[in-house]
Amino acid sequence: MIRNIRTAYLMLSPSLVWLLVFLVVPVGMITVISFTTNLGFGGILYEFSMEAYRLAFSSLYAKAIWQSLWWSVIATVICGIIAYPFAYFIAHAGKWKNFLLLLVMVPFWTNLLIRLYSWIILMNNQGVINNLLLKIGIIDEPITMLYTPFAIIVGLVYGFLPFMILPIYASIEQLDKTYLEAAEDLGANPVKTFLTVTLPLTFPGVLTGTIITFVPAISVFVVTDLLTGGRLLMIGNVIRDAFLVEMNWQLGSAISLLLMILVLLSIVVLIKFTSSDDDSSLL
Amino acid sequence: MAEGMVRLENISKKFANTYAVKELNLDIKTGEFLTLLGPSGCGKTSTLRVIAGFEKPTSGNIWIDGKKVDKIEPYNREVNTVFQSYSLFPHMTVADNVAFGLKMKKVSKQDIKNKVKEALNLVQLENFAARKPKNLSGGQQQRIAIARAIVNNPKVLLLDEPLGALDLKLRKQMQLELKQLQQELGMTFIYVTHDQEEALTMSDRIVIMNQGKIEQTGLPDEIYEKPATKFVADFIGETNLFEGKVMQTNDTYATMECAGQYIIIPNNQNFLENESVYMSIRPEKIKVSAHANDKVKQLKVIMKDEIYIGSVTKIIAAFPDGQEVVAHGSRDIFKRCSQGSQLYLSWEPADSIVFKMKEKLEV
Repeated sequence: MIRNIRTAYLMLSPSLVWLLVFLVVPVGMITVISFTTNLGFGGILYEFSMEAYRLAFSSLYAKAIWQSLWWSVIATVICGIIAYPFAYFIAHAGKWKNFLLLLVMVPFWTNLLIRLYSWIILMNNQGVINNLLLKIGIIDEPITMLYTPFAIIVGLVYGFLPFMILPIYASIEQLDKTYLEAAEDLGANPVKTFLTVTLPLTFPGVLTGTIITFVPAISVFVVTDLLTGGRLLMIGNVIRDAFLVEMNWQLGSAISLLLMILVLLSIVVLIKFTSSDDDSSLL
Repeated sequence: MAEGMVRLENISKKFANTYAVKELNLDIKTGEFLTLLGPSGCGKTSTLRVIAGFEKPTSGNIWIDGKKVDKIEPYNREVNTVFQSYSLFPHMTVADNVAFGLKMKKVSKQDIKNKVKEALNLVQLENFAARKPKNLSGGQQQRIAIARAIVNNPKVLLLDEPLGALDLKLRKQMQLELKQLQQELGMTFIYVTHDQEEALTMSDRIVIMNQGKIEQTGLPDEIYEKPATKFVADFIGETNLFEGKVMQTNDTYATMECAGQYIIIPNNQNFLENESVYMSIRPEKIKVSAHANDKVKQLKVIMKDEIYIGSVTKIIAAFPDGQEVVAHGSRDIFKRCSQGSQLYLSWEPADSIVFKMKEKLEV
């Protein structure tokens, strides 16, 4: 339909301008800033320096990066384990399908911040969960949940579960049911049909879900802020603090850039390891 | 119990409030190529799915090779299906697709390898084993779907409009190949199609279905030459159907009035005077003449159109009341005629087939 290249560019220009102004230019800026010299209090001296990177790889920050990676991987895996059966159930729920999908989406209508506060109430030492367990007599003294990695994992899983459910649901929903009949026809019982046909054919949904869960999970900072009171750090916290608290723009820029590289590398590794020869739809 | 390969006894299948299949009885012989033929929605695919086990019949019993299979799940039935959309697994190679059924049966690796090779040989695609289905043409995918089914050596092969997506030439070729394959293997084939030509070409026996019921079961030539119902006459091939009343009868013939003209019909069903009937006559059985002939009973019609279709010319004429009639003839007969000229039609009464109107009440 597009008659010539000029029309094509014209139609693309709004998104190109958007990408240029809000992606290419900022990334360029932080790249440049990360290699400049820190004057303190946010001051930038345009003189080449690797100081920010030396600092970023020092034990304190490296630990935050490593923790972020580890916790978001665990949270993503747990999301996947919870989301697949759940999505499978919704996709086969007949007339309840739309209602159940709505329930998955409802939390999006409230800010994550507010929803995380409710987890504080739940996981507090005097909170709902501990009180309940004490009353039943399963535990004798409250379990400390807040301020621990456990709380972070709970927060991440809770916050990003819908990102995992929706793409998996879409891929199960779109799966041509005649493949399942074909498998059954060829002697595969329901379990074998699921393992040999359903699961491999819905894997693109799992992959998409993994990426869009993992990427925000690794860079989020409200979860650590609220559920550990800032005692445990993820990359998001470190970047924010570098810019706004320490006023070290070079360090903030350097870690931002490292985070971006880390995320891109993770995605590449994920796709390379999971896609079969010619079927990759993402790369 | 059942003799033959498949026996359907009083099978009904109800979806919501409508019957897709109603009280169907059918015996399918071992090694037979049987076709379920009918318009879309006639229940032919539902019948096939009931045999495969994808649909549980609302009532009735099914036997396969003397074994009652009503409660047996599809994955435990000794039948395999070739699907309309092929349904080859897109994430597996051709060889893995063909091997799937054997793997499920836990056949040994070496046996699987040999059998897959053999099956691919049979459909002449032995060099495509390592490819993914999406890299094959429609015709090749079709063959793989057949190989994937027959490699399991099923007692019955079910084929659900398997050639529907192919172009005409390839379809004709595959029809012959399938028929040949069926004879080589001596396997029982149950074939579903809405394409009557396909059914007539391939089948040992044809079952014509309409509205969930069997209209007629017979050999291809029986179905065409001796349709048992008005529906079959109308559905198979091209025919002219006339509606009218029986006027006079004697032992061998009767006269029928239709649109003010009289037609002689064979009196083989003890017609009563004033009884309403349908009469069917095939276009190729009608003789067309430009001149009246006192020696034979002729119908006067007005020529409306002629259509050249290659082997014959179709002539479309109309009765005074507007009802159209189609006849075949060679071209030169019509050279002297033009639209609006008078034509005379005649045929052997024995070539016509008459149905009593009461069947209309049943439908």
